[in-house]
Amino acid sequence: MSSNIWISDITHYYNKKQTSPTLDDINLTIPQGQLTALIGRSGCGKSTLLQMIAGLLIPTEGAVRISGHTVTKPSAKWNMMFQKPSLYPWMTVRENAALGLVFAGTYKQKKERVEELLDMVGLADHKDKNVQQLSGGQQQRVALARSLATEPDVLLLDEPFSALDAFTRSALQTEVAQICHDYGITMVLVTHDIEEAVAMADNVVIMNHNPGRIVGSMEVPLAYPRDRGTEEFGELKDYLFAEFEKIDQAKQAELAALEAQKDIQQTQQALAS
Amino acid sequence: MSTAQAAAPARSTDFVTQLSQGFKNLPMWAQTTVNSIFGMTILLVLWWIGGVLIQSNPDTEAFADFAPGPALSALWSLLGTEFLWDTIVSSLERILLGLFWGIVIGVPLGVLMGYFLAMRQLANMPFQFLRMISPLAWMPIAVLAFETWDGAIVFLIVMATVWPIVFGTAHGVQRIDPNWFRVAKNLGADGYQMLRRVIMPAIAQDVFAGIRLAVGVAWVVLVPAEYLGVTSGLGYAINDARDTLAYDTLAAMVVVIGVIGYLLDAIAVFLIKRYSWHAE
Ligand SMILES: Nc1ncnc2c1ncn2[C@@H]1O[C@H](COP(=O)(O)OP(=O)(O)OP(=O)(O)O)[C@@H](O)[C@H]1O
Ligand SMILES: [Mg+2]
Repeated sequence: MSSNIWISDITHYYNKKQTSPTLDDINLTIPQGQLTALIGRSGCGKSTLLQMIAGLLIPTEGAVRISGHTVTKPSAKWNMMFQKPSLYPWMTVRENAALGLVFAGTYKQKKERVEELLDMVGLADHKDKNVQQLSGGQQQRVALARSLATEPDVLLLDEPFSALDAFTRSALQTEVAQICHDYGITMVLVTHDIEEAVAMADNVVIMNHNPGRIVGSMEVPLAYPRDRGTEEFGELKDYLFAEFEKIDQAKQAELAALEAQKDIQQTQQALAS
Repeated sequence: MSTAQAAAPARSTDFVTQLSQGFKNLPMWAQTTVNSIFGMTILLVLWWIGGVLIQSNPDTEAFADFAPGPALSALWSLLGTEFLWDTIVSSLERILLGLFWGIVIGVPLGVLMGYFLAMRQLANMPFQFLRMISPLAWMPIAVLAFETWDGAIVFLIVMATVWPIVFGTAHGVQRIDPNWFRVAKNLGADGYQMLRRVIMPAIAQDVFAGIRLAVGVAWVVLVPAEYLGVTSGLGYAINDARDTLAYDTLAAMVVVIGVIGYLLDAIAVFLIKRYSWHAE
């Protein structure tokens, strides 16, 4: 069973002294089974929003609902994968992958699932190794298997491939998108990388900073697995890039205008006194 | 043919180089064993020389039984006797009891210190201060505070063991990667599972490293502590042997102390290795 995510009227301040909110009136509905990418400049609140979906952070205002249930705490049903794999170095690959099931007390019944997942992510020959013996890409695959083992309805990815080399990265992008698509997992991906967004997502959501807002979105009507060499892929990438730049420039202009206005006010005040 | 030619110059090189080359080709454990035996032999020879010097000097002649010959034969006749067994058991009991309380007090304190910065700031100065006090300096207080000599000795051992355990544990907790908590929480771990699967394995190695240091200090403190009051244990046996001028038994007891100390340390090292998760 997969589920839809419902983000309604989220506004968030990290502390009371902030002049503008970190997130401002975010509304977004993600249908079940859809793969969504959140892109935006550094500091616009992407990770903040993702942590709220995961239940690791509670918004100042508004709420997140997953299939009708308000998210108030983390759950193995909506799983977050971080930029660093953060594996446990005292465990083998298999033990790491099985951890969610061990916590749930269902590992004994579902041993086979862990084996299958490790085979699927290409670690069939490494199951008994200590995770410290693996490369960065292999470690991230273990983290992926660990996330999938609990059969999550929702998979949340926060720049999970950014530390990997280009080849491993694009291979994993293709794999993860395929897996989520095949299993009907609702996926939300935070990224800086426009190509990654186009390669993986059905829908790309563009965020702006200061305050953090959703300012646009783009559908990616391509079938999986996606071929990055096609003309269509290139066009979508260029379009998204142009769109992103347009929004960014508008934002810069707005900020500059605001600065100028402030200057004028200050000068006027100075003259008046 | 080429092999024979290659062997020819090798034969002409001198014997020592060949020997050291051959030694380096031995497996690691064999090299370790050979070197350890060699080291122990040096120690034994030094002891023997000491014995000869003592015997040849008319002023110290009376202590000639300190030499390895008499000492080892005394040890041989002591082996398997109830006396030796009782002596060792009562010393080990005190050590283990002291270690037990050192762990029970030290590990939770160390966890608090590692986890909370304020605790660390609060406790660091006083603990470092107390750590530097020789545990034996507590003796007068221990004698006043405890009804039995045994209680006082265990107290001294606790004072010796608790600090390395506190600091070892705190160090381990500080090294825990905060992401490990986030990931475990995200995978649905409850408090107990977090402790059992994440915190304990993460710090185990550092705790055992603290315990290893603690065992060393405790064993060193135990013998002088047993000079006082009690009528059992290795310290008492040494003191008693001195009073009865049985210097061969005294030296034999020193050997026993060394051997048991070595074994305790080896157990601690084994546990550190067993719970170590750092890549080689
Ligand atoms: N724990 C925190 N306490 C206070 N402010 C925070 C905290 N975490 C993030 N912020 C602030 O909130 C804003 C959004 O942060 P967030 O991490 O969500 O950005 P992001 O879009 O994920 O950026 P990046 O792309 O660099 O990861 C930033 O200005 C950041 O400084
Ligand atoms: Mg981020």
